[in-house]
Amino acid sequence: MTATNAIPSKPSALRKVGGKLAGLVLPGWSALVIMFLFTPIFFLVAMSFNDFKTIFVWTKFSTHWWGDMWDNTTMIDALITSIEVAVISTIIALILGTLAGLALARKPGRWTTGFVALVLLILVTPEIVDGAGQLSWFVKLEGPFREGLTPIVLVHTVFSSAVVTLIVRARVAGLDARLEEAAADLFATPIRGFFQITLPLVMPAVLSGGMLAFTLSLDNVVATSFVSPAGTTTFPNYVFGLSGGVIRPEVAAMSTVFIVGTLIAIVAVAMVLRRGGQSGTEIATTFTGN
Amino acid sequence: MTATIGATAGPPPQKFRLRAPKFALAIPSIIWYVFLFVVPVVLVLVNSFGTKVAGTPGKVDLSSPTLERYREVIDGSFRTVLKQTMETSILGTVLCLVISLPVAYFLAFKVGPKAKVAVLALLMVPFFTNYLLRTLAWKIVLQPKGFVSNFLQDSHWFTLGQTLRDGPIQVLDSRTAVQLAIVYNYLPLMIFPLWVALDRVELHLREASKDLGAGRIRTFLQVTMPLAMPGIVAGLVLVFVPLSGDYVTAKLLGGVKGNMIGAAVAEQYFNAQNAASGSAIAVSLIISILLVLAVVAGVAWFAKRLLAINRNVKVPAR
Amino acid sequence: MTRRDNTTRILISEEAAQRLARVVSRRTFLAMTGGVAAAAALAACGSDEESSGSSEGGSDTSAGGSDTSDGGSDTSSGESTDTSSAGGDFDKTINMFTWAEYDDLDLLKSWGDIKLTIFNSNEEAIQKLVQGGGSSGFDMVVPTGAYIPQLVAAGLLKELDKTKIPNFANLEVAYTNQSWDPDNKYSVCKNWGSTGWIYDTSVVTTEIKTWADFIAAAQGEASGMTSILDTPPSLCGMYFWANGIDWTTEEVADLDACEDFLVNDFASHIKAFDSYPGINLTSGSYALSMVWNGDARQGLIGIEESGGDVAQYKWGLGAPETELWMDNWCILEEAKNVDAAYDFINFILDPANSVTDLQFHGYNTGINGVEELAGDVSFKDMIFFTPDEVARLRSGAVNTAQDRLVEIYSNVKAKAGG
Repeated sequence: MTATNAIPSKPSALRKVGGKLAGLVLPGWSALVIMFLFTPIFFLVAMSFNDFKTIFVWTKFSTHWWGDMWDNTTMIDALITSIEVAVISTIIALILGTLAGLALARKPGRWTTGFVALVLLILVTPEIVDGAGQLSWFVKLEGPFREGLTPIVLVHTVFSSAVVTLIVRARVAGLDARLEEAAADLFATPIRGFFQITLPLVMPAVLSGGMLAFTLSLDNVVATSFVSPAGTTTFPNYVFGLSGGVIRPEVAAMSTVFIVGTLIAIVAVAMVLRRGGQSGTEIATTFTGN
Repeated sequence: MTATIGATAGPPPQKFRLRAPKFALAIPSIIWYVFLFVVPVVLVLVNSFGTKVAGTPGKVDLSSPTLERYREVIDGSFRTVLKQTMETSILGTVLCLVISLPVAYFLAFKVGPKAKVAVLALLMVPFFTNYLLRTLAWKIVLQPKGFVSNFLQDSHWFTLGQTLRDGPIQVLDSRTAVQLAIVYNYLPLMIFPLWVALDRVELHLREASKDLGAGRIRTFLQVTMPLAMPGIVAGLVLVFVPLSGDYVTAKLLGGVKGNMIGAAVAEQYFNAQNAASGSAIAVSLIISILLVLAVVAGVAWFAKRLLAINRNVKVPAR
Repeated sequence: MTRRDNTTRILISEEAAQRLARVVSRRTFLAMTGGVAAAAALAACGSDEESSGSSEGGSDTSAGGSDTSDGGSDTSSGESTDTSSAGGDFDKTINMFTWAEYDDLDLLKSWGDIKLTIFNSNEEAIQKLVQGGGSSGFDMVVPTGAYIPQLVAAGLLKELDKTKIPNFANLEVAYTNQSWDPDNKYSVCKNWGSTGWIYDTSVVTTEIKTWADFIAAAQGEASGMTSILDTPPSLCGMYFWANGIDWTTEEVADLDACEDFLVNDFASHIKAFDSYPGINLTSGSYALSMVWNGDARQGLIGIEESGGDVAQYKWGLGAPETELWMDNWCILEEAKNVDAAYDFINFILDPANSVTDLQFHGYNTGINGVEELAGDVSFKDMIFFTPDEVARLRSGAVNTAQDRLVEIYSNVKAKAGG
C-alpha cells in the first residue's frame, strides 16, 4: 500500500520567521492591551493625590484629600447606601438564582427553553430599556416602590439573579445527580437532601455567583439613575450626578477605596474557591460569567 | 443469620415524593422576572404609543394611542442619533473583536497554566472596576490640559524640537472620545468569552490539524475559529447589544456631538419630562439592534452557504 | 454475619467520596444557614422599615451620615452637631437639593451637617421632585424664582413662617415680594444673578459686546468649541435677546423663528451643553461659553489659583438684554428637618455669613449693605453690577411657551449631535 499523502515538509525559513514573530507579537500585543486597560484607572488613582480642587487639572502632589474625603457626608452616605443595596440584592439574587439554577439543571422539561430564553433576554437587554420601564412601572405603583432603598434593590436583583441562575445551572449540571438520588434513597427528605448534599456541593457556584452579584450591584448606574428616589443615591450615581459640576480629588480618593475594596472581596472569594479545589482558570471562567 | 443494617426498628419511613411541577423551584424567579422585567419592558412598549402629559413628568396619556412618537423619531432629529449610535456600536464591537482576539488566542494557547492565572487575574482588575469610574478616568486622560495632552505637546520628549501636536488635544466631547471609551469599557467583556470559547477547542484537534500539514494560520482559520464560533458569536452579541444602549459613556464624554441614543432616552425621561417620547426612542433602539443582528445573521448564513458550495470535498482514492 | 455497629456503607466513586467528606457536619451547616436566614430577615426588615417610613430611607442614611460627620465638624470648627434627640433641640442636619458650587462648604459646616445633591437645571429639579411624589427625601430646594409657582401648584413647597426667620429683615426690599411669590410666602432670596459669556481671547480674537457678537463668534472662530447653558430658557433666550424680542414671548411665530435658527444655523457649532463651564474653565475644553456671572468668576479664580493667565479670558454681561434670575431658599412640604431649615435660613441671612458665602459663589445675595461688607472681594465687578448693567436685566417667566422651549432645546441637542 503506497501512501498517497505526502509527508509534511520541514517548515520553510519564512515559516520559522513567521513563528518567531508570532511568538513576539502575541505577548507584545497582550501586554499593550493590558497596559491600555490599566492606564485610565492609574490616572484616576493618581488624581486623588492632586492638590487642586478639581481632578481634571494637576497642580501639585498632596494627600490632604484623603483626609478631607471623610467630611463629605453625602459621599459617605452614598457609599454606605451602595454597600447596603449590594448586600441585600445579592442575598435575594442568590436565593432566586440558586433555586432556579437547580430547577434548570435537575428538572429540565418543556419549560426550560422558555425560562432560559427569559434569563438570556434579561442579560442581553440594554439597561436603558430596563431602567426606563422600571421607572414608569414604579411610578404607576407608587408607594414603597418610590421610597428608600426598595426600588434600587429590586432593580439590581433582576440582572444579578439571572447571572447567578446560569452559574448555578452550569455547576449543578456538572455534578453527579446520583449523589442526590442516593440521599433520597437513604430516606433524606428533599429539604434535608438539599441542605446537606446539594447546597454544599453547589457552594462554589453560589460563592462565585454571590461575588458576581455583589459587584454587579455595586457597578449598576443606569437603572439606578432611573429608579432611585431623589434623596437616595449609590456611590457611582453620586459621582455620575457630580458630572456637571466640580469633581474634587476626594471623589478620586473614595473611588480608589471603592475599587480596592471590590478587588479585595474578589480575591477573598477566589481564595476560598481555590481551597475548595477549583483551579484558577475555572474560577476565572465563572467570575466572568461564562 | 440475619443481617442488620442500621439501628431502627420497625418498617422504614416512607420515601418522600413531592407532587410539584418540574419548574417549582424556578417559580419565585419567574414571578420576580415577570414583575420586574417583563412588565416594565411591556410598559415601555405601551407608553411609546402615548402622549406626554403636559407639566407632569413620568406620566403618559394613553387615552388616544398614536404613532406620533415614532413619526417624531423617524422624521426628527433622533434619526441621526440612532444612526450614529448604530455606527458607533458596530464599529465598537468590531474593534473590540479585533483587539481581543489576539489576546484571547494568546491566553488560550500560548500561556502555561501558572502564567495563565496571573494574566487572567490582571485582566479581571479592569473588569471588576466600576464602569462609571473607568469612564470618569477617561475624562481625566483626555483632558486638553491633562498629562497626556501636555506630554504630546512637550518638545522635550520628541526629537528635533518637534512635538506630536501643536495644541492641546480636543478629543473630549466628541464622537471619538465616546468611541474610544466604549471600546475600552467593553473590551474585558469581549476578551473573556473569546478566551473561553477558544480554550474549549480541544488541543488534539489542533494538533491533528498541524500533523496533517496545516500551518498555524490555516489551523486557526479552518479548525479553531469554526469550532469556537458559537462562543465568539455569544461574545459579539454580549458586547454589541449593551453597547448600543450605552448611556454613561455618552453622557460623560460625548458632549453634544458624541450623543448616543441611550442618553437621548434618559434625557427625554428626565429633562424633557416626556416618558412617551423616551419610550418610543427606546423601542426604536431595540428594533435597530434586532435589525442589525438580523442583517448580520443573514449575511453570515449566506456566506456560509457560498463557502459550502465552493468547497469541493474530494475523497482520496485508495 | 451480624454487624453490631450502626454505620451505613455507600459504594460511590472516589471523587464523590472526597466531596462528601468535605460536607460540613449537619449542626454547623444549620447554624450557618440559620445565620444567613436571620441576616436576610433582618435586612429585609430593615429595608421594609426604610421604605414604609416614607422618606425614612433618606433620613436613615442621613442619621448615619451625621454620625460620621460629627467627627468631621468637631475637628473643623466650633459648633457641634447635637444628634441626641433627648436634647429637645433639633438636629442640625439638612438634605439640600441645589446648584453646584453654590455655597461655601466651610460655612455650611460651621452651621451643621448639610448634605447637598446637585442639579443642572430647574427642569431637572422639578422632574425629580414631582416624580418623588412628595417623598424625595429632601428638606430644602433652591429653585429659580420663575419656577416657584409650578412647585407651589404641585403642592411641594411649605408655606414659610416668617416669625422663625427674623433675619429676613436684612434683605433689601427690592429682592423681596417678587411677582412669582408675593409676600415671600414660600421662598426667601438666596442670591440673584445673570447670564453672560466668557471666552478665550487667544481663540476668539474679536471682542464680544452683544449676544449677536456671541452668536457670530460661535458660528465662526469658536465653532465646535462653544458651550451653552444646559437649560431651555437660556438657549432660546440667547436668540431672543440678540433679536430684540422679549424672551418671555408666547407668540408662536417668535418660537418658530427661534427653533428654525437654533436648529438649522446654530446647533452644529455647539460642543456641549454645560451649566458650569466656569468652574471647569481650567480644563480648556471650550473657547466660548454662555455662563452665569458667579460661575465665570469662580472660573477666573480657579485660573489664578492654578497659575494660569487670567487676562486670557474675558467675561461679559449679556447685552443689549439678558437674564435676571433669582434663586431662593425653599422648604419642601415633606421636609423632616423643618426647624433646622428655618435655623439655617436665618443663619445664612446674617450679613457676615451672607458675605462669606458671596465671596465663594460670586452672586449678589441681596442683603442690605452687602456690597460694602464685601469690601475688596476679587472680581467685584462681576458680582455687583452698575446701574447701566442692571437696566439690561430681564426677569424670566414660566408660561405656556415652556413646553415649546423644552422641545426646541431637545431638538437642538439632537441636531447638534448630527
